[in-house]
Amino acid sequence: MRWTLVMVLAAAAAAAAPLGCGKEEGKDGGKPGAPSAGSRDVVLEAWRKGGLAPSPFAATTVAFAKDCQGGTVNNVDVLICELPSEAEAKAAEDPGLAWVGDATGISRAAGKLLIAAADRRKADPSGKTLNQLTKLLAPSK
Amino acid sequence: MRIFFLTVAALAVMAATAFAAGKQVKYLGIHPIAKANGGGFCYIEGPHVHLYAADKVQYRDHRGYQHFVGDPVAYGYDGPKHVYKGHHPIHVDVVVGDSEPDTEFCYLDGPHYHYFAPPEGPEFKVAGGAYFFVAEPPKAYVEARPVMIEINAIYRPLVYVRPVVTVDAPIGWIGARAEFAAPVVVAPVVGVDARVVVPVPSVRVNIGVGIGVPGVIIHDHRHGRGHGHGKHKKWK
Repeated sequence: MRWTLVMVLAAAAAAAAPLGCGKEEGKDGGKPGAPSAGSRDVVLEAWRKGGLAPSPFAATTVAFAKDCQGGTVNNVDVLICELPSEAEAKAAEDPGLAWVGDATGISRAAGKLLIAAADRRKADPSGKTLNQLTKLLAPSK
Repeated sequence: MRIFFLTVAALAVMAATAFAAGKQVKYLGIHPIAKANGGGFCYIEGPHVHLYAADKVQYRDHRGYQHFVGDPVAYGYDGPKHVYKGHHPIHVDVVVGDSEPDTEFCYLDGPHYHYFAPPEGPEFKVAGGAYFFVAEPPKAYVEARPVMIEINAIYRPLVYVRPVVTVDAPIGWIGARAEFAAPVVVAPVVGVDARVVVPVPSVRVNIGVGIGVPGVIIHDHRHGRGHGHGKHKKWK
């Protein structure tokens, strides 16, 4: 019985990893190809250190990615999705622009993350907040 | 039934994407915002989108992104800037930091600013803190110039603090070479101070500026003057 339980847990972990179910924020295993759990928190922390003010982020649903959270940064709408691979994150940049919609915005992959931001309330007319959002991602470029 | 709903959902997503893509214009790098679109300056350095189009005069297409190649100071830009005098290439790939070679040409007459410095190399010489293009321009530059130089009309009425360069141009400077000289055009100068600055689109001006001036003076002063830009792909 005990072995059965161990096998089930192992199988579940193996199935979850490739899907990028990065709910375990803060536990980046660092293995190549593994989901970068916690990288979303790293990004948010980088923004905070850069002087930006992220709101609490909450799970949100979009068509092009399964693991996404949405919130605001300095009153700019921001979407952070974690994709299973860097290539998929890169491929999600265009759908990210569709999410931006009728607004000034960005959509950029940073590792396995897709960060999209839309200035729907025209809170950032000079684009300086959007620029910081992008520049502070540079290490993951 | 399930397939029907999936198909409808897929079509809806595709339609939404197409709608957004149709209205959005991709930009790369900082750029002015036209008054009709709110005015001011956009400081987003990386790829981004707006809902307004770029004009064909001050922007160049780089991988599907619009890249501003004009004088940002004319539009209120407040950041690092570099002084150039006369026409010169712009290595857009270096400016934006990617690997797709793309060299455009700036047709700004006379002293002007860009927010980027040229890459180190023999094609530019620095005199008095200003960059002068001294290499052989490509054929494409010469061919397009008669049309592109008309772009100066956009900047001519703009009033802003411009650099003034009064120094002997380095030997080989494109502005002093008769074969690349622009037709003589005496444009009106819109001055806001007492000094007279001769419009640059003139062979006489290009030759005359700085002659006999032992030192270098680059200082700001307000007046109107023409500037322009043109485009040449991958001539390097």
